[in-house]
Amino acid sequence: MPNEIKTKDDSPVVKERKTDEAVEAGLARLTPERIKNTINQVLQKETGPRFKAYVETCMHCGLCAEACLYFLSNDRDPAFSPAGKVKQTIWEMLEKKGEVSIDFLRRAVHIAQTQCNVCKRCSMYCPFGIDIAYLMLLVRRICHKLEITPLYIQDTVNSHSATMNQMWVKEDEWIDTLQWQEEDAREEFENLRIPLDKEGADVMYSVIAPEPKFQAGLLYQAATIMHAAGINWTMPSSPGWDNSNMAMFTGDNEISGRIARTFYETAARLKVKRIVMGECGHAFRSTYDVGNRWIGWAMPPFEVVHALEFYHELLTSGRIKIAQKFKKTVTLHDPCNVSRGRGLHDMAREVTNMLCESFIEMTPNREHNFCCGAGGGVINCGPPYKGERMVNNRVKAEQLKATGAEVLIAPCHNCHSGLEDIVHHYDLNMEVKFLGDIIYETMEKKIYKPGE
Amino acid sequence: MEENKSFDWSTDLKEVPVREWEDRFVWVEESHVSPDGETIASIVNVEEGVFTVCENGETWDNEYDKAWSLRPLPDGKFAACVSSDEEWTLSISGDEWENWFDFIWDLQVNQDGSSLSLAIQKDMEYGMAVNDEPWGQMYGNINEMVLSDTGSVAAVVQVSPMAQADIEVFKQGIFSCAVNGKAIEKNFLNIWDISFDSSGKNVAYGVRLDRTDYTIVVNDIAWDKKFQSVWKPVFLSGEDSVVAPVKEGGKWALYKDGQPFWKTQYNQIWKMVVSEKTGNIAAIASNKFGKWTIAQNDQPWNMTADQMISDLFYSKDGSTLVAVLKDKGFWTLAVNQKKWDLSADKVFTPCISSDGKVVCVVIERQGQYFLAVNNIVIPNGYDFMATPVISPDNTKILQKAVKDGVYQRLIMSTDKIL
Amino acid sequence: MNAFIDFIMGPMVWIAFLIFILGLILKIVLIIKDVNARESYIYSYMTLKHSLRSIFAWLIPFFPQSTRQSPVFYSISYIFHLLLFIVPIFLTSHIVLVNEAFQVSWIALDDGLADILTVMVVLALVFFTIRRVMVPEVKYLTSTKDYILILIVALPFITGFLAYHQFFLYRPMVIAHVISGEIMLILIPFSRFSHMIVAPLTRAYMGSEFGNVRHAKDW
Repeated sequence: MPNEIKTKDDSPVVKERKTDEAVEAGLARLTPERIKNTINQVLQKETGPRFKAYVETCMHCGLCAEACLYFLSNDRDPAFSPAGKVKQTIWEMLEKKGEVSIDFLRRAVHIAQTQCNVCKRCSMYCPFGIDIAYLMLLVRRICHKLEITPLYIQDTVNSHSATMNQMWVKEDEWIDTLQWQEEDAREEFENLRIPLDKEGADVMYSVIAPEPKFQAGLLYQAATIMHAAGINWTMPSSPGWDNSNMAMFTGDNEISGRIARTFYETAARLKVKRIVMGECGHAFRSTYDVGNRWIGWAMPPFEVVHALEFYHELLTSGRIKIAQKFKKTVTLHDPCNVSRGRGLHDMAREVTNMLCESFIEMTPNREHNFCCGAGGGVINCGPPYKGERMVNNRVKAEQLKATGAEVLIAPCHNCHSGLEDIVHHYDLNMEVKFLGDIIYETMEKKIYKPGE
Repeated sequence: MEENKSFDWSTDLKEVPVREWEDRFVWVEESHVSPDGETIASIVNVEEGVFTVCENGETWDNEYDKAWSLRPLPDGKFAACVSSDEEWTLSISGDEWENWFDFIWDLQVNQDGSSLSLAIQKDMEYGMAVNDEPWGQMYGNINEMVLSDTGSVAAVVQVSPMAQADIEVFKQGIFSCAVNGKAIEKNFLNIWDISFDSSGKNVAYGVRLDRTDYTIVVNDIAWDKKFQSVWKPVFLSGEDSVVAPVKEGGKWALYKDGQPFWKTQYNQIWKMVVSEKTGNIAAIASNKFGKWTIAQNDQPWNMTADQMISDLFYSKDGSTLVAVLKDKGFWTLAVNQKKWDLSADKVFTPCISSDGKVVCVVIERQGQYFLAVNNIVIPNGYDFMATPVISPDNTKILQKAVKDGVYQRLIMSTDKIL
Repeated sequence: MNAFIDFIMGPMVWIAFLIFILGLILKIVLIIKDVNARESYIYSYMTLKHSLRSIFAWLIPFFPQSTRQSPVFYSISYIFHLLLFIVPIFLTSHIVLVNEAFQVSWIALDDGLADILTVMVVLALVFFTIRRVMVPEVKYLTSTKDYILILIVALPFITGFLAYHQFFLYRPMVIAHVISGEIMLILIPFSRFSHMIVAPLTRAYMGSEFGNVRHAKDW
């Protein structure tokens, strides 16, 4: 834990360590003038009555604290409570009219980028429904404009801006990877295809960049599921294939919007009916709720179907049949962005029960789930913050341990990686799986024919 | 569409059986039809790991380990990216380019088919090739490739190396616009949306100057003004002027050569099209959040779509402006401000007669393809349809469709439909 | 001085009520105007159904998860907010004043009961104060202003109680009661007390985002 020092008003202020080279380099370049102008520009010009209402209505009651995994995991340290984070950032920026110090900003960026998953659980514990995640995203927006965003997540945003994918995947690497997975999958499924740029297909399947970069096997699995289910599908060979969006988590709304536009225009170019996406939560949030709004699409111009919902459809319609249910005991982590963010939690349970013999609930769950601690761009801030990310989500570890399950299903990439870290750090001896992993393992490997 | 004159407009029906292909080959991929409708072609798998293309039942002379990106060419031939022994090249109806590469993609064909371009990778270096001519200079990465009607190509290239997660180097600007292989001098954080003028000599594009400032660059000269964001610029026909949507004070506006152009500030405006004939400019725009319309010369259409307007086309004479849009869950067209009655699951690229009087388009409803002409859907459903063609005198429509395993090239009389 | 006291005890009461009511109306109007000008996109997501669904869910005692996790606070808070309205509105001496002015009256609380309820309001405020001092996450958020707000609410009740019982200084106590009541009324639209009308709006918006867009519950 960072050292605590006491200030005049007796509230503990955490003395901030220099954790991140990009933050430090950015801070070194700042002038008081730029800090003040940027903060005031964002808080005055880019907000509206919503921000005003949130700031002027909060009664400082502290009830939001109970919602926050950071607060609970850090022995109820008030500095980690949602309103406590607002106090350490927005309140002071407002009070000092933007004239804040370098030390203050170092702390502010640390809080906003790595001590809040913008999971919105606290909005369900605030009697007024104040959107504290929105306030943290405003702080991130200010940090983005001041160029003090943490290194690793900024690099992903740079990659997005230059390549329209998160991981600097070059255009040929993307196509080559798909063709390679297609070829491999043909060993198992004769005639299997990953149809590229098939105009007029029913489904455009989209994934996040870590799949071609590190987890190509997931593309393989998805292709086998699509093939077995007899879906008329396609994947784009052009940029627009990556549905992830880290820019929305650094407050780079301009790049975030550009990503969303490229994504939907790719679907429009391919003339598909709907878009199915892999098991990723933040990508769903970006395409369903965030990126589209910046562009001016009130709701997504194409139906966006999260993998969870798609699997549900395949299983209930009989397009995918389960040969033998998964035997190990499983528990299910509700990814914030598709449960609290899209209400798919009941469907997730139905899918899990259709696939697995023994399902144990973890509590709290559904809308009240605890975030994996990796979401909202936190894991993307990278290695400098990994240690504290483990400390900051002790409650998740306790929650997982209490289930006693052998397998932890996490239908979201961020959750998956974050929970693997947690499982390892707290020595929980659980296997983390995607739903797709289990479907692939348990399904009948034959091609769906209507009426059979 | 002068080339349409040479098409066979007198034979009512020509048929090519395609179902039998499925017996001849292990699998047959999606169909593509030549512009004149005389040829239907698909990539086919001959046996494990052996691919070729079947055109009207005849396979290409050569077989390949892989083939993808099949595309009909204006002269009736077909091109595809093909691979043998882990090397790639372009094959045009079986005739390969002389140059082979480690990878190729993004096949582009200009309007008259005189130029074909590809993005290429060789020894982990990137560039483009036009008509079998690779760039002399290769780069660290390539994106945003464009081919002009004159055969010039341009792309965004990475001109200096960047170590993993080196945001300081990124901040210096490592991307440049390369025209015909030669990178223009200035580097930027980002470059997007390169546009050529009609001569193919001048380029304009959007750039990001630093973390938050964007502007438009024309031939390496940036506009003086900086903006919150920019979209693709276009050259006006017959002049050197460049028009681009820019974001200022939270609103979008159209600027011309760095100065305010249209008066209205929009919630969103992009995808301008310019009529060469009339000089009119139209763009997809939104005045009210979540409502989309078309603005022509800064005048909004008396029509909105609540989901998306995806494309915009002028007829050759500039009299007709056609928008492809999605409203209340279904796709349709709007022609000169009037929304068509049809509602489809998919609407493909429309075909507009030169005088703008006839508009036809392929649509899909519940898995069946239909042809719609001037807001009338012809009831016969098909398994597949390619983009139709209207005869130069507007009296006939060439329909290209597959039904029950047979490709039909059908000439229909416009009178009978309307 | 007497003229001033007459003003405080007479016209100022009505002025305070006017500022309170018009201030709240003005606040709503300004918010709506501001939303129309700067954040009109929220209308794309707000629905009456989901707004009311959320507001009502949060009005039902111990229905939202949050209320079940902090039962003591919420119990006291529910009762406090109810009494904040019930006690002054149904107090005999207030009804008498209204009756003198407008010849209307309504059912009154038994004075003894009103007395107990007044004490409960004050005790609730004492609880809130102790909570601000004792509970770390609340203390962390608390500044002098928060105590002043508690004091502003407490004063009319305390002075009213003391005046009613005429323990000492009856007249000054009545004057203090009226002044503190006026201050509270006047401050409502211009302080965080405005959560009285703003909170339903923020709740409605969050309820709509959850109900209409996210298809999830927000309680």
